Amino acid sequence: MADDGYNAFEIEQEQFDRMADSLELDKSVRDLLRSPIREYHFNIPVKMDDGTFRIFKGFRIQHNDARGPCKGGIRFHPQETADSVRALSMWMTWKCSLVNIPLGGGKGGVICDPHNLSQREQENLCRGWVRQVYKNLGPDNDIPAPDVMTNSQHMLWMLDEYEAISGGRYPGAITGKPVGMGGSLGRTEATGYGVVFVLREALKELEMDISKTTASVQGFGNVAQYAIELFIKYGGKVVSVSCWDQNDQTTYAFFKQDGIDLKELRKITNRYGTVEKSRAEELGYKVLPGDDWLKQDVDILIPAALENSIHKDNVKDISNKVKIIAEGANGPTTPEADEHLYSNDVLVIPCFLANAGGVVCSYFEQVQSNTNYFWPKDEVLGKLDDKMTDAYYAVIELKKRRNIPMRDAAYMIAISRVAEACHLRGWA
Amino acid sequence: MNDGQISGNGAEQRLEERIKELNCIYGISAITQDESITLNEALQDILQLISQAWQYPNSTYARIIIDDEVHSTPNYKETPWLQSTQIKHGGKIKGIIEVGYLEEMPAMDEGPFLAEERKLLKAISELIGNFIAQRQIRDRLNNNNNNINKAADKDDWEIILGILMKTDPRSSLRITRRMIYHLYRIQNEEIAAIVNSICQLDEADSEWCGINIPNPRKDIVALKKIQAEVFKIAKDALPPEEISNLFNMWLKADKARPLLLASQKQSIPLTEITSELNRFWDMPEDARTLLPEDDISISTALIRRFFTSRLDFINNAKKYIGVGDFVSLLKTVVGPPEGEGKLGGKISGVYLAEKIIEMEKITHEHLRDVKFADSWYITSDTLIDVIHYNDLDDMVHIKYLDPSEIRQEHPFLEQLFKNSIFPPEIEKGLNRILRNIGDNPIIVRSSSLLEDSFGAAFSGKYKSLFLVNKGTLEEKRNALMDAILEVYASTFAPDPIEYRRERGLLDFSEEMGILIQKVVGTKIGPYYIPAFAGVAFSNNEFRWSPRIRREDGIIRMVAGLGTRAVDRVGDDYPVLVSPNKPDIQVNALVDESIQYSQHFMDVINIEKGTFETVSSLDLIREYWDVYPIITKIVSIHRDGILRPVTGVLMDIEDADLVITFSGLIEKTSFIKQIKSVLNILQEKMGTPVDVEFAHDGEKLHILQCRPQSFGKETVRVPIPKNIPNNRKIFSASKYVTNSHIKNIEYMVYVRPSAYDALSERNDMLNVAKAVGGLNKALPKGRFILMGPGRWGSRGDIKLGVPISYSDINNTSLLIEIAIKKGGYLPDLSFGTHFFQDLVEADIHYLPLYPDDPDSIFNENLMNMAPNRLGELLPKYKDMEHVIQVIQIADISDGGTMNVVMDGEANDALAYVMPPDHWTWRMKKVEELGNMLDAELYGVEAFYVFGSTKEATAGPASDIDLLIHFNGNEEQRESLLSWLHERGVKLGKENKERTGGQTDDILDVHIITDEDIKNKSSWAVHINSPHSAAKKIPLRNDN
Repeated sequence: MADDGYNAFEIEQEQFDRMADSLELDKSVRDLLRSPIREYHFNIPVKMDDGTFRIFKGFRIQHNDARGPCKGGIRFHPQETADSVRALSMWMTWKCSLVNIPLGGGKGGVICDPHNLSQREQENLCRGWVRQVYKNLGPDNDIPAPDVMTNSQHMLWMLDEYEAISGGRYPGAITGKPVGMGGSLGRTEATGYGVVFVLREALKELEMDISKTTASVQGFGNVAQYAIELFIKYGGKVVSVSCWDQNDQTTYAFFKQDGIDLKELRKITNRYGTVEKSRAEELGYKVLPGDDWLKQDVDILIPAALENSIHKDNVKDISNKVKIIAEGANGPTTPEADEHLYSNDVLVIPCFLANAGGVVCSYFEQVQSNTNYFWPKDEVLGKLDDKMTDAYYAVIELKKRRNIPMRDAAYMIAISRVAEACHLRGWA
Repeated sequence: MNDGQISGNGAEQRLEERIKELNCIYGISAITQDESITLNEALQDILQLISQAWQYPNSTYARIIIDDEVHSTPNYKETPWLQSTQIKHGGKIKGIIEVGYLEEMPAMDEGPFLAEERKLLKAISELIGNFIAQRQIRDRLNNNNNNINKAADKDDWEIILGILMKTDPRSSLRITRRMIYHLYRIQNEEIAAIVNSICQLDEADSEWCGINIPNPRKDIVALKKIQAEVFKIAKDALPPEEISNLFNMWLKADKARPLLLASQKQSIPLTEITSELNRFWDMPEDARTLLPEDDISISTALIRRFFTSRLDFINNAKKYIGVGDFVSLLKTVVGPPEGEGKLGGKISGVYLAEKIIEMEKITHEHLRDVKFADSWYITSDTLIDVIHYNDLDDMVHIKYLDPSEIRQEHPFLEQLFKNSIFPPEIEKGLNRILRNIGDNPIIVRSSSLLEDSFGAAFSGKYKSLFLVNKGTLEEKRNALMDAILEVYASTFAPDPIEYRRERGLLDFSEEMGILIQKVVGTKIGPYYIPAFAGVAFSNNEFRWSPRIRREDGIIRMVAGLGTRAVDRVGDDYPVLVSPNKPDIQVNALVDESIQYSQHFMDVINIEKGTFETVSSLDLIREYWDVYPIITKIVSIHRDGILRPVTGVLMDIEDADLVITFSGLIEKTSFIKQIKSVLNILQEKMGTPVDVEFAHDGEKLHILQCRPQSFGKETVRVPIPKNIPNNRKIFSASKYVTNSHIKNIEYMVYVRPSAYDALSERNDMLNVAKAVGGLNKALPKGRFILMGPGRWGSRGDIKLGVPISYSDINNTSLLIEIAIKKGGYLPDLSFGTHFFQDLVEADIHYLPLYPDDPDSIFNENLMNMAPNRLGELLPKYKDMEHVIQVIQIADISDGGTMNVVMDGEANDALAYVMPPDHWTWRMKKVEELGNMLDAELYGVEAFYVFGSTKEATAGPASDIDLLIHFNGNEEQRESLLSWLHERGVKLGKENKERTGGQTDDILDVHIITDEDIKNKSSWAVHINSPHSAAKKIPLRNDN
């Protein structure tokens, strides 16, 4: 990768430096946290279907395990770089710390394009990856999970290889497994529900009755649908959702003043979250241009689709009525828009916190796997509620105390918990 | 052909008679050799044979009286129309044989009898005489084990030869000739001497040597002498049984002669050749034989007659299609009985494929279960027959009309066709077809002669129609006729005519064969569909991974009718598989597999009698239990992965089903089957093929097969060799597929180095937005996109511009540029992020490797061009250092760019084209019109015609002008001199452009009112349907 230009890891480091300044961290802790604690770079020989061998480049980067074993995904990407994996591993450390689960941050990857590999070759690659690094994996060391271009199948191959080498059954060595194979119930709901758990607490804070609030949601995928489900369960009203229309290659917003009926809308939605326009119209929905989702006179906006969807050009379109933005998607608000919202007293619950439900559920999967005892869905979701709520209060408390944006508060809490753990362990 | 002088029906009839006679003699000879039957039985059999050998078998009777014992045919009755001869042996009269007719017949040589029949009668009497003598000797030496045959005077073959020499000298000579060849083949020295002597001694006997035309009558005596010698040699050289066997075979082989003669006739009418074939084939199998040389001449002639005269096809087809195949083929052919029509390209292709597969089945395990759809055929001339029968003769001129007129008239014309009726014999033929088909739905396909003769890509230009085929025979027939007529009307539709005009095929007399096929499938609820269907190609022109080679082929398949796989429907996706590398999937990720999966299904609703498109998953869920091999077709999406359908713990109602065909690909031999079909057909047909198929859950059925180059997307265009370097823009030599993109007006170039240097993520997102903006601002299909790395990157967008498909869907070519970074060459995406969208929209993909020493990447030329970005999208003017929009006209003096991609040579070249000769000329003519002062020069109107108007002008073509003039002589002169001056100037200009020498490029023709009235001279060009002149607006016109 060229030295000039955009580098995700450098940006992550700059961000860290800014926060470290605010936290007045010692140099030694800074030096420790500024880059990963351990990195594994290795070659994975794979016998291809045609009998030839190819050597793939693999990574596992453990950013920090002061608070517990590392946790993080494995990416298959043709132009993966060590720096992008470093940046993501650091991010995982903060994420786990913020929701206060006893895990550190890690990330791994293989430079490869699954489009050019058969299933068998991918399996060989997964097993080869584990063989290179298995000593440093396991429920007590580092727990991989699916990420870009990997899925539960890849995880099961990896787990199988790990267990074969270790000579036992260690379902807690990997997360993201199917239910019945060591997976956790409630995973599908976790992220969407998590968004609404923190939203619910934020509304309490603002002394708003959730059952009298209205919301507009961007996106109608998994996160959005479960967020809407729980929000409606709490008595709230969603007046508009937007989604991508594959046929028209554009987005539309579906509006209903009396609130959308999730059940009927799901019926006319295909599996990628595209709502059938004509049938929605028949059901009384007003079909608007996609961008209109954020122009609605509602109390809450939930961007749960793309990054950078609230930016400096459209942030002014947001109604004065809007009090809270709960970021269901990753990075939906650009820094300029963020500043604008902050100065207008709109509470932005950062993605970092709002969509952490997935990570928490992964942790639960690990806990259940380690004890080989699996909880009913309600129990999973109940425990999720506790974790999310606690995390919210920690953040809001700091926000109020130091009068800073929630995003900064979240960051600072995450970093200081890790710094403290390092300190207590006598690492810095 | 030694019987070359015989021609016409009379000759054939005579030949028929000879054959009957020979049959009789051969039969009698066989009977007389049969030791097991009694004399009485033998005589009774002989009588039977005799009665069949005379000219009117139905009214022939016969009687043999030997030693006062009377044997006769059952219908014996005394009549005056009778001939008889004595049976003698050893000089003694043994009895008498009589043959007669029961009623009076027309007078012939001897009463109602032919001269040959008299000879035959004599020969028979001799045979019987011999036979009786043998039997008497045998009886006498009853217990003696002597060789009876040896006791007789002659061997059987000698008797037969003797008879032949008397009754049919020509046949006897033919047998002689065959004997010579036979002896020659076994290297008999004496025969070699004889053959030599014939050639030397007697030129007239050159027939023996196979040169020149024979003249046997004249030298029959000489020939007979040679004949006698030949058989003497034979008798010495070969045992009698062997000669007998040879005779036997040759006489049988002679039965194919009428067929051989008929097949050689140019354009023999359908009924005639059919009945000839059937007559031959209906003979008992042990009574006929086809010598290899006869077989091949007949089948080659028939291939030419019914399929095509293209030598490459015939050469191939004759290896697989034999005479017997035609017997069964013609049972399924309908056409004007006297017609000479062929079956057309589509039918030829699929029929040959069927025969190839049939033969290769023996050695290829995977072909064993491959079937072909049951098919019936209508000959191409039926179209013409229908046109004549309905007085639609002016139809054939339609192709010469102006395209807009054709378009306007077509709906009416189609109705005219649909209201036509078929000649009764065709209607009868259709009834026969329908009775054979029963209640199965059918598809009516066109099979055009043009497609076959010129390899032109007529796929999809003519119609194919599904029919439910329900109701009474009459209803079914009416529906079938309606469909055929609609297909006929499509011959005159504007699109195919336009296509033919473009390719200079307009003057070809297009006829259209019709292929009627049973739709392969099963009944599922109210629907009739195959379990799945699709199309497979030998060459993959859309590779999704560098690991897939072009020659690995590709399969496009869908559940239900194959229409959705054959056509590109745009909003729905077939499953794509590489038959050689089925494991390298297009959609490696689960989300992609789901997004790019089939959502709709084409079905025939047999209850409603309609062709419908329904939700595929709804149908599958509803008919889960009856849908054939459904567990091989769908997968279940759960826990983020796609799983095969297994076990009983599955609730189909709630399962998230995805059509993936993964079970079919992984767990069945289907891929191997298709691969074998493609490989064998490509090998045996000598060209990559394009095969349509359908699968009913049990067997794979092939529906169509044609050379892949006939498909519209895959015509190979070689790289032009003479492009000067300063006109080349870029070249590529890796992962190139076949494509030819012409008339590109813009090139959008995202500079890799500048994109790489962007430090803000937002800037990169803005590049994507700008590209999206250009996609809307630029003319659709007239621009190409070039950029670094992977178009459509997600996450780490430094790897490529993070566009989505909607940001690029109007481009005609997507180019990814791989530039080395620190000794490492990044992988390109091959468009995998939206690969199937590209395929369905026919957007091609090309990777460039500018670091390759042999590749061209003309950055100088690109840098010279002004950047049009700011002009098109002022908002993004500040991004001009990253995105360059080149208007090709700026770097080519008003021309355009072509990108030729030759997958076979793995080479691609983009080059600019100066405006072509035709456009330049037309532009100049228009300028001329604009300059010409009509009033001053007495010009009424101004036309252009010839090559400029027809868009066929070359570098040295004249510009043909037609001037409708109504001024005086003085005006005429000054007009001509004005035009001459302009012509010389333009000639110079043209010389600069092309280097070609032209003095006065204008070829001016003056016409007057008078000329137009009389349609004399050049005035015919005005309003001519063939080469009408185009009127050019004048300055004085409004």
